[in-house]
Amino acid sequence: MRPFSILVATACAAASLAGPAAAQGAPSCPKRGGTLTYSYHPEPTALSTIATSAVPVAIIATKFYESLLSYDGPELTPKPSLALSWTVSEDRKAYTFKLRPDVKWHDGRPFTAEDVKFSVEKIIRPFHSRGRVYFGDVEAVETPDPLTVVFRLKDVVPFFLNVFQPGEAPIMPKHAFDGIDMSTSGGVRSAEIMQKPVGTGPFRFKEWRKGSHVVAERNPDYWDKGRPCLDQIVLRVIPDGAARAIAVENGEVDLAPMSGLPEAEIQRLEGLPRIETSKKGAEALGPSMWLEVNLREKPLQDLKVRQAISLALDRSRIVDVVWYGQGTPARGPIVSANPTYFNAALKPYEYNPAKANQLLDEAGYKRGPDGIRFRINHYPLPYGETWLRLGEYVRQELGKVGIAVQTQSVDFAGWLKAVYTDWSSDTASAFTHNYSDPSIGVERSFTSYNIQKGATFTNSMNYRNARVDELFRKASREPDPAQRKAQFAEIQQILHDELPVIFLMEMSYTHVWNRRVRGLITNGISMYSSWSGVWKD
Amino acid sequence: MSGALLLIRRFAQVVPVVLAIATLNFVLLHLAPGDAADIIAAQSGGSSAEFVEELRRSFGLDRPFWQQFLFYLGRLLMLDLGFSHVQQRPVLELILDRVPATLLLMLTAMAIALALGVLLGIVSAMRYRSVVDALVSVLALVVYATPQFWLGLMLIVLFSTTLGLLPSGGMETIATDMSPAARALDIGRHLVLPAATLGLFYVALYARVMRSSMLEVYGTDFIKTARAKGLSESRVGLNHAAPNALLPVVTLAGVQIGHLLGGSILVETVYGWPGLGRLVLDALLQRDLNLLLGILFVSSVLVVVANLIVDLLYGVLDPRIAQR
Repeated sequence: MRPFSILVATACAAASLAGPAAAQGAPSCPKRGGTLTYSYHPEPTALSTIATSAVPVAIIATKFYESLLSYDGPELTPKPSLALSWTVSEDRKAYTFKLRPDVKWHDGRPFTAEDVKFSVEKIIRPFHSRGRVYFGDVEAVETPDPLTVVFRLKDVVPFFLNVFQPGEAPIMPKHAFDGIDMSTSGGVRSAEIMQKPVGTGPFRFKEWRKGSHVVAERNPDYWDKGRPCLDQIVLRVIPDGAARAIAVENGEVDLAPMSGLPEAEIQRLEGLPRIETSKKGAEALGPSMWLEVNLREKPLQDLKVRQAISLALDRSRIVDVVWYGQGTPARGPIVSANPTYFNAALKPYEYNPAKANQLLDEAGYKRGPDGIRFRINHYPLPYGETWLRLGEYVRQELGKVGIAVQTQSVDFAGWLKAVYTDWSSDTASAFTHNYSDPSIGVERSFTSYNIQKGATFTNSMNYRNARVDELFRKASREPDPAQRKAQFAEIQQILHDELPVIFLMEMSYTHVWNRRVRGLITNGISMYSSWSGVWKD
Repeated sequence: MSGALLLIRRFAQVVPVVLAIATLNFVLLHLAPGDAADIIAAQSGGSSAEFVEELRRSFGLDRPFWQQFLFYLGRLLMLDLGFSHVQQRPVLELILDRVPATLLLMLTAMAIALALGVLLGIVSAMRYRSVVDALVSVLALVVYATPQFWLGLMLIVLFSTTLGLLPSGGMETIATDMSPAARALDIGRHLVLPAATLGLFYVALYARVMRSSMLEVYGTDFIKTARAKGLSESRVGLNHAAPNALLPVVTLAGVQIGHLLGGSILVETVYGWPGLGRLVLDALLQRDLNLLLGILFVSSVLVVVANLIVDLLYGVLDPRIAQR
């Protein structure tokens, strides 16, 4: 074995000497006990992010499952979790994780390096929706002893230490898959463990009454002694948004995470003394909303037309009126809350209908006798009335500059097919996540090698720019953080100017909770974290 | 015709009706663009085309339409409702999980509606053109015109938020250990608002129908005879007119079973009641084909069976029908 030089392990080495509890670096619980009840709709369809990493699943599954690392702060500074320490080789192609000893699965069996190898190779890489992005470059996973795992990479993956999040790379017990057909996603997704989780996390599965609730109870054998602070976490299923808001107001529900309430209700509850709200704690998800524009045909191929559409839409109004203040006008593909890669030099987009008219005239699209320059269709994302309101706003504003917009009403499956398989939409409202690194969440939408029929939330626009492709490829292999930052800055400037989509709004994931609940916001994936330190007054 | 013969004849009619409904459901659901594989991939934040194709393959959605249809029919004939790829559980298990909650809600709502509706109808008819009659009629009209969704939210605001008397939703208090009696009481407390919301609309409907049916019966000869015999007005109303006026209400109740199931989708959504109605909505939004087909099949059977029971009830209420 070649020698490893320790690059990243200083903090964790110190922590490992101080013992497991101190390794978490957090004070013990100010108060122990109690049940935290939260509500989010829709109900999860599984309790593992391998089955689907949809928001409702990720919130609850991350209380049962852990990964090798946990994270601090919005920038996701890695810290020990199932791994006690780690080292990175000089060429950044080998990562060695020393695992925490004496960790037990919820069924009492010991956790070992074999579970990590099995999870990455047999479950996460083939079956997690982002598994190939995270571990596609892993050449081998070695387990020299039961408490050591070595990942050997084909190439440098600069975001590799970001991926060991409990929702993105959950470590699962190898023994739970005995007798399961591991060759198809159907076999794995229908395994019993997807419905009745067995993890190492601070909470273990107690009960799931479909349509009503999920109960997670304290794991008495949790490795972080003294944690978790709470006795139970209950997910209550309340499908109606207004009824959910009333339950939070009544105190029957303690928390509505991830914008789990209608925007108008969030605005109403923000004024109540016993309610606290925060838009923090989702920085590493970075949801961004835009209009996807089909660039396959004229007139939307024409940059001047896209600039005109951009000028005709008032982003402040979209934020304040359509979204009840739950967002920020977008300036490009990476959200401004990203503490590392947002390019602050990007200019805010202007609202100027007169200039929009002028650009459309210059582009040769004169108004006809009926005042219309051309007609396009628009597919609002069928995620509820807010998106329909946005569709109405787009229709109204573009109508003012002579673009007749016909909105199409379809359900989610129909919308996905029109936008990502048939490519039959001219414009569609959509939102995607930046995730913890632009190579994970942003690259897929703007590179020509991600123009794939049938692949959801990819480059549906048919945007092709060789420079953008080159920069994204370089950045995904770039070991130097400063160089990487410069590459992403240039990408943002190009996309800001070329408008392959009309960037509209950085969405907010607003969490609403009862002030009795403390310690919720800890990092950029706060709702996808273990909540072992969350307590109730 | 004897009761048994009637039952056999009705049953013979039920089979082709249910099969026709199943076929129609299958065809209609396949006409809609998109499928569950797209949705699962998209809800996971997007994925590659290979990932979506692999999902589609493992769900059997890549097979030609006719193959899927024959496979579905074959399964159905063996009463196998298939597997929900979205929920990762057998469809029958999912449905059976939810049926008790929906039946409890529907039957309670129906009981409230029938008891109150018939009572108000009788009172209204017996006090024809009085203040009570006018009051019942106006109230019935207002309740009939009130959207269930809104009524549900208003009842929550009044009884849960303002008065704090009843829980705002759910079917029971979660994660507490209770004796069976305490649990039954707890479910009862949770049931009050959703059952009232679902039932009130039908109270209004049945009150109106019962009233007009009673008034019609009042005009018949046997009522005149009863009065001529010197029976008190209350005995004429309750013992003679009311039983004969019930037939249209029972007919209506039978027809309304399907509507009630539809109404329960809204009520279950507002109150977070873990029933079949909610499962329909979730399955629809997720394009969970097998589950949706399963629920539609079971609910069509429920409606057909309910109508069968009503047919048989006719015989009890009016022996002349059974003899025909």
